[in-house]
Amino acid sequence: MAFLDVENLKVHFPIKGGIFGRTVDHVRAVDGVSLSLEKGTTYGLVGESGSGKTTTGRAIIGLNNITSGKVTFEGKDITNLRRARADFRKDVQMIFQDPYSSLNPKKRVIDIVAEPLRNYENLSKKEERKRVQELMELVGLSPESILKYPHEFSGGQRQRIGIARAIALKPKLIIADEPVSALDVSVQAQVLNFMQDIQKELDLTYLFIGHDLGVIKHMCDKIGIMYKGRYVEEGTASDIFDDPQHIYTKRLVAAIPDIDPKKRDEQRQFRQEVKAEYEQSYNDYFDDEGLAYPLQSISDTHKVALPEKG
Amino acid sequence: MENKNEIEQVEKSPSGFSIIWREIVRDKLALVSLIFLILITVFVYGVSIILDQDEIVTVDLFSIHEPPGEEFWLGTDYGGRDIFGQLIIGTRNSLSIGILVTLMTGIIGVVFGLVSGYFGGHIDNIMMRILDFFLILPFLMIVIVFVAIVPKYSIWTFSLIMTAFLWMGIARLIRSKALQEKELDYVQASKTLGSSNFKIMFTQVLPNITSLIIVTMTLNLAANIGLESGLSFLGFGFPESTPSLGTLLSYARNPQTLEYRWWIWVPASVLILLLMLSIRNVGEALKRATDARQRRG
Repeated sequence: MAFLDVENLKVHFPIKGGIFGRTVDHVRAVDGVSLSLEKGTTYGLVGESGSGKTTTGRAIIGLNNITSGKVTFEGKDITNLRRARADFRKDVQMIFQDPYSSLNPKKRVIDIVAEPLRNYENLSKKEERKRVQELMELVGLSPESILKYPHEFSGGQRQRIGIARAIALKPKLIIADEPVSALDVSVQAQVLNFMQDIQKELDLTYLFIGHDLGVIKHMCDKIGIMYKGRYVEEGTASDIFDDPQHIYTKRLVAAIPDIDPKKRDEQRQFRQEVKAEYEQSYNDYFDDEGLAYPLQSISDTHKVALPEKG
Repeated sequence: MENKNEIEQVEKSPSGFSIIWREIVRDKLALVSLIFLILITVFVYGVSIILDQDEIVTVDLFSIHEPPGEEFWLGTDYGGRDIFGQLIIGTRNSLSIGILVTLMTGIIGVVFGLVSGYFGGHIDNIMMRILDFFLILPFLMIVIVFVAIVPKYSIWTFSLIMTAFLWMGIARLIRSKALQEKELDYVQASKTLGSSNFKIMFTQVLPNITSLIIVTMTLNLAANIGLESGLSFLGFGFPESTPSLGTLLSYARNPQTLEYRWWIWVPASVLILLLMLSIRNVGEALKRATDARQRRG
């Protein structure tokens, strides 16, 4: 039994229309996603904007309603959150994309970081203060700054506060929704390395949602590529980056910039080739509606969405 | 060490209250208004402790329609009652009603709007239809009926009646703000951190809309005082035994009083005008303070 199992997850949003606001159609934000995470690893969910990767993460933690499918965490069914319990909430936490809106501007840092502690642990004011200071130290911020307000921090520092809040309850799984895409590059590396450090320290499992392939390559053991709410390819980092099978993945991987100026022309030519191949074979890889086919296993770890043979 | 502390002090961004205070000090009109308001409130509530309402409203046939003089600073009305005393007690009553109504409509409106906006969906739909129902009730007519059927009319009953018809505006305003606010990530974050909906509503969302609440309630205060006076003027507010600014004003319905006995109604009218203007001035300054683009200070 895997640590986190998602089976055929679907999240559909109704489109209301007509005079009486009937449901005319659905937006299939996530349309049949299955993934499984092993403890202590990092799973990367990649895709262009609108591909449903964030919705997948939010559905797992319960911020979006699940239309159908099943989510099991440590063998327990947590699909319907109203029935699943508080200890799950404690074990699964989320890091948000935007460090500016994810911290309440009217709260001091101590109140922000202590919020989960107040919900789940009965600590005295003194113990709570000490814990928050420890957490602040852990994320590399000065323990004296717990009485400041969020706007007194920079973007990177704010994201660290967000992380401190997420790890306050010592969760087992953290869903990181593009945790660095709002930060500039120098700070990105800082936050990412720090996330890897605490992963080892606290034995965390990450579901890392992102669109920056460089970041994903750096962070993840296993990767799933999403397109229009479906998986196009899933595999280990080397499967995806060294041996991409699906044309969409090939194009994504080809788009990773190479900093070596000597190879610039070579790279450009390669990209052009992939682009031509993409346009030419688009119909072979996607069905009539432009959606990906169901996944087929091509090795133990590697799955690709290819049409059924024959 | 001390020097370092000083630098940190400067770096801290100003708190809400210091922003409001700066805005009011910069706007001289608002500052004068605020001082006037504080003075009049302290004076009215202070003096009315000494004054005896029953004694003032007792009819004295020997001193009907006295012009202002040494015994009666502002003269007397047709029942020989001291206008100055009535003015003090009346201002106190009017202010109390204004404040009470503002607070009660504020509390009901904020809770209603917050719940409606935060939950959204069907709950919002149902709550908004209830609000619409209250909105279409004819306010004046129902107040007239209430005045007729409620035997003992006091500050409390009057405030309750007014509250029942005045909480909708603020509820709508808070709802629209709550709808906006609940989409922000910090609300989502609180959910993942295990806070209950009510906890999120009142400890996370509410602090972010306090500025809006303060401004609206200040401006509502002026409106409510005006409304009370208006109702009393029409004769649907307090009886003469409970003086208010409105009852004093309603003496002016008598053409004789209007033309020859100005001391009965002019002070009350001037006071209403000044009170409402000053509250509005302070409210406008508060409003500017909440919006960085409009600030003068």
